[in-house]
Amino acid sequence: MKHTLKYFFSFCLLLSLFFVQAQDATTKNSDRIETIVPKQIPATLYKEKDSIPPKMDRYGVRVGVDLYKLTRGLYDTNYKGIEFVGDYRLTKKYYLAAELGTENKTTEDTRLNTTSKGSYLKVGFDYNGYENWLNMENIISVGMRLGASTFNQQLNSYKIYNPNPYWGELPSITSNEKFNGLTASWIEVVAGVKAKVLNNFFLGFSVRLNTLVSNHKPATFDNLYIPGFNRTYNGNFGVGINYTLTYFVPIYKKKAIAKKKQ
Amino acid sequence: MKKTLLLLLLSIFTFSACEKDDICDANTATTPRVVIQFYDITNPTVLKNVTNLKVIGEGMTEGIIFNPTATGEAKYLTNLSKIAISLKTDADISSYSFILNSGNSNTNLISEDKISFFYTRNNVFVSRACGYKTQFVFNPLLSYSQTAVPETNLKWMQYVSVEKNNIDTENETHIKIFF
Repeated sequence: MKHTLKYFFSFCLLLSLFFVQAQDATTKNSDRIETIVPKQIPATLYKEKDSIPPKMDRYGVRVGVDLYKLTRGLYDTNYKGIEFVGDYRLTKKYYLAAELGTENKTTEDTRLNTTSKGSYLKVGFDYNGYENWLNMENIISVGMRLGASTFNQQLNSYKIYNPNPYWGELPSITSNEKFNGLTASWIEVVAGVKAKVLNNFFLGFSVRLNTLVSNHKPATFDNLYIPGFNRTYNGNFGVGINYTLTYFVPIYKKKAIAKKKQ
Repeated sequence: MKKTLLLLLLSIFTFSACEKDDICDANTATTPRVVIQFYDITNPTVLKNVTNLKVIGEGMTEGIIFNPTATGEAKYLTNLSKIAISLKTDADISSYSFILNSGNSNTNLISEDKISFFYTRNNVFVSRACGYKTQFVFNPLLSYSQTAVPETNLKWMQYVSVEKNNIDTENETHIKIFF
């Protein structure tokens, strides 16, 4: 155990060193450009530098759809769902982000066959930790969401667990019992990337760790699948991913404030 | 920033490895059996061991296995004072023959009583892995019927007492049999 921890931490340390090196390299490069440029370029040319427009950051709304959910219905007959995603750039680094979706999923467990149906909304923010060059607009972000879902579940069929099946195992029993008016809310920690692929089109991928805050279960059943939260586990824990295609609608431009060099 | 991201990814992979909660834990309370204890009719507070008791369900060819380690006929026999038997989860009646001194060469010693249990069933959700369990409630008007086989014989179980009407767990004695 002690050794595992040691290796784990040293591995993290190693990774952190890589980042430090990478940052060093970029600052060195820019330093060199600054020191060389005034010497080599004649004063007349150098003056033109003033006419170069300052780097502008574009601000606006990004809207799109989760391709993973959209295409899953094509190959998984037990699944139908769609998720719309959107974000709005608040500041240089912060984005207001939201997801709105609906899901209809049938889960075939060994002893239970259930269908969850419902809608969800997630609202939160993304923090872009990626320093873009020139007019690049890529995003590597971490963020948080508050999610809420309202849904119903249907128990299609179930099996009775009998550890001493003297009279033989029974086939599953058809139930079709419906549990309506279920709700759940949760917090998500999101890590994601978005890359500009074409003009204003972005492809994005995110992974999410979820923690249930509230979970309104039926009295005689459990919430096995919560739309938006996905499958539930024994505790409050959950995971999720999305794979988005979004279109950026620019609204205004703002001068990028260069980072102070040290 | 990137470190957080990496840690996040790392923890996801860690958690994804231990997601198996699809196996029903053997310690989970699922469909209970009826727990029967045998008492001495001459001294009703004292437990009494049965001798080579075989319990076989109506219409079944094999008896309840009391001795999984034994071979041959011996695995169906018990010499203890406590047994547990399964009720049918798809019918409201379960009938068993209780054969005392089963397999004894002296056929006069072999005595057989047949008991039918009457009950209602209730299927209760347990968990994703275990699914449902069945709990039973003995019919309050007539919880069992007992006959000797053949009926002209004397019943070897002289008194049957239903102690608990609700069969929810195996942690209690539901039926006491005095002989």
